[in-house]
Amino acid sequence: MIRKGLSMLLAIMVFISLAACTNKDVSKDGKKIKVVTTIAQIADIVKNVGGEHVNVISLMGPGTDPHLYNAVQGDIKKLNDADVIFYNGLHLEGQMGEIFEKMQEQKPTIPVAENIPDKYLLSDPSSPSIPDPHVWFDISNWKYAVESVRDNLIALDEANKNSYTKNAANYLTELSELNDYVKKRTKEISEESRVLVTAHDAFNYFGEAYGYEVVGLQGLSTESEYSVSDVQHIVDILVDRDIKGVFVESSVSERSIKAVVEGAKEAGHEVSIGGELYSDAMGEEGTEEGTYFGMFKHNVDTIVDSLK
Amino acid sequence: MSYTFWIILTGCLVGLTCGIAGSLLVLRKMSMIADAISHTVLLGIVGAFFVTQSLNGIPMLIGAAVVGLLTAYLVELLSNSGVQSDASIGVVFTSLFALGVVLISFIGDQVHLDTKHALMGEIAFVPWDTLQINGESYGPVAVWMLGFSLLFNILLITLFYKQIKMSTFDPQFAALVGIPLTFIHYLLMTMVSFSTVASFNSVGAILVVAMLIVPGATAYLLSDRFLHVIILSGAVGVLSALLGYLCASFFNVSIAGSMATMTGVLFSLAFLFSPKHGIVFKKINSGYEAIKVK
Repeated sequence: MIRKGLSMLLAIMVFISLAACTNKDVSKDGKKIKVVTTIAQIADIVKNVGGEHVNVISLMGPGTDPHLYNAVQGDIKKLNDADVIFYNGLHLEGQMGEIFEKMQEQKPTIPVAENIPDKYLLSDPSSPSIPDPHVWFDISNWKYAVESVRDNLIALDEANKNSYTKNAANYLTELSELNDYVKKRTKEISEESRVLVTAHDAFNYFGEAYGYEVVGLQGLSTESEYSVSDVQHIVDILVDRDIKGVFVESSVSERSIKAVVEGAKEAGHEVSIGGELYSDAMGEEGTEEGTYFGMFKHNVDTIVDSLK
Repeated sequence: MSYTFWIILTGCLVGLTCGIAGSLLVLRKMSMIADAISHTVLLGIVGAFFVTQSLNGIPMLIGAAVVGLLTAYLVELLSNSGVQSDASIGVVFTSLFALGVVLISFIGDQVHLDTKHALMGEIAFVPWDTLQINGESYGPVAVWMLGFSLLFNILLITLFYKQIKMSTFDPQFAALVGIPLTFIHYLLMTMVSFSTVASFNSVGAILVVAMLIVPGATAYLLSDRFLHVIILSGAVGVLSALLGYLCASFFNVSIAGSMATMTGVLFSLAFLFSPKHGIVFKKINSGYEAIKVK
């Protein structure tokens, strides 16, 4: 009796859930290309290059750290309905990346960061085969991602080729201007003091491109822990080279960086927490920091203002 | 439409596989082994990285399976040698996990390696992770893996039903009548660690830990008979998966999270309203008793 009731219930459940998914709502703007991206930095490219011809959804909103992303039920529909998927690649998305590779059979899925020539990719000396995926902090690297988006949009939609080419050219020019701006502002800091102390090693590309020494307290992986000697080493650098500021990040807790500030204080060196940098996540949607430009500018201004 | 079907099927398979394996664990007071394995697999993926120098999924899965087995066997070994079973889980869990954390610092700061990325699956993406042989697609990998571990579990339980039952409820008597206790224990542990790692790879940690513990505990509230507990536990797992999916699509939230929450809801219902052990009926019964006494 109970078992019969249970199986009836199961049958009803399955039926309801299947029925709920059949009434696909037809998109209002049917002609636009539906693009899904993983991180918001890529969504920013697609919005700018695609312009009015695309409809962009980013799975990880601007404020979301990709390491902490959890899929929600609605994401399945987004992925299923997408005409093209742009993701970072280089293992930034972990297992999701492998799934995107398999989805390649059904629709184009493009790892934009993998368009960057290998020689520009950084990797750790102890594991040279695995590149650092945080490529967007070197603007000249990020240009390759823009080109990848442009070429793939053209491949999908030949008719609007001119529009994509023009938009991409504009965006690339803006990127070059941003690049110059970063270099100009960096000059305001004395070479000796160009040291970026931050809680998470996401800024290696930034350091390499613009001449900062990056000292991270914690490895890339959220599961690696910082050691006592790490803290001491950073405190020594701060004191020896008279660095005035250290930085917290929007997606990593402040606690570890505070340990460093306290340590420096004990050694008689005053360090201020220079402000929040955007690392993996960007600012909230609609604010200036919610765009790639705003985010980058915010980071550079914050760094320069507290180090000079 | 079809992707919904695959996700629901995967959820149900996890519910069944883990529910069945979990009911045995709850009876043997070893339910936290799933949580232990969810952490110790870090050692497995770090080891796999050292061997292959890549972040590919298959070596990671093999590494995780090996360490899953190692965890289960070490726990069994310790608790057989007189350490309390909860303490032996704790000892193995923390030391293997810590070893993984230590080793991870040798691979360098710039490599992104953690269990969530390298091993744990996401049920929402199951439909696209298909098994491909010679360019032909044969349905999601997760369904195959879970299907096989379910078959394996059912096969073991039917083959050794009597032995498992006796060794669970009355080990002394079982030893007396010549049942190879150690063999049965290790067999069950093998079953549990394979189910756990296969499920991790398909649907992620939180759902697996929930499905291994809660349905078993729920079933135990509803019945005292061994076979009934096993069947009920599987049924509660499946029901949680179905209700959880409905809930996830209604509120647009994480599917695995919502299925895991449902196991908790069903447990609470059983806890309150189970005919034998539920506190509501206990209250009512004690009320009757009180009246009778008057």
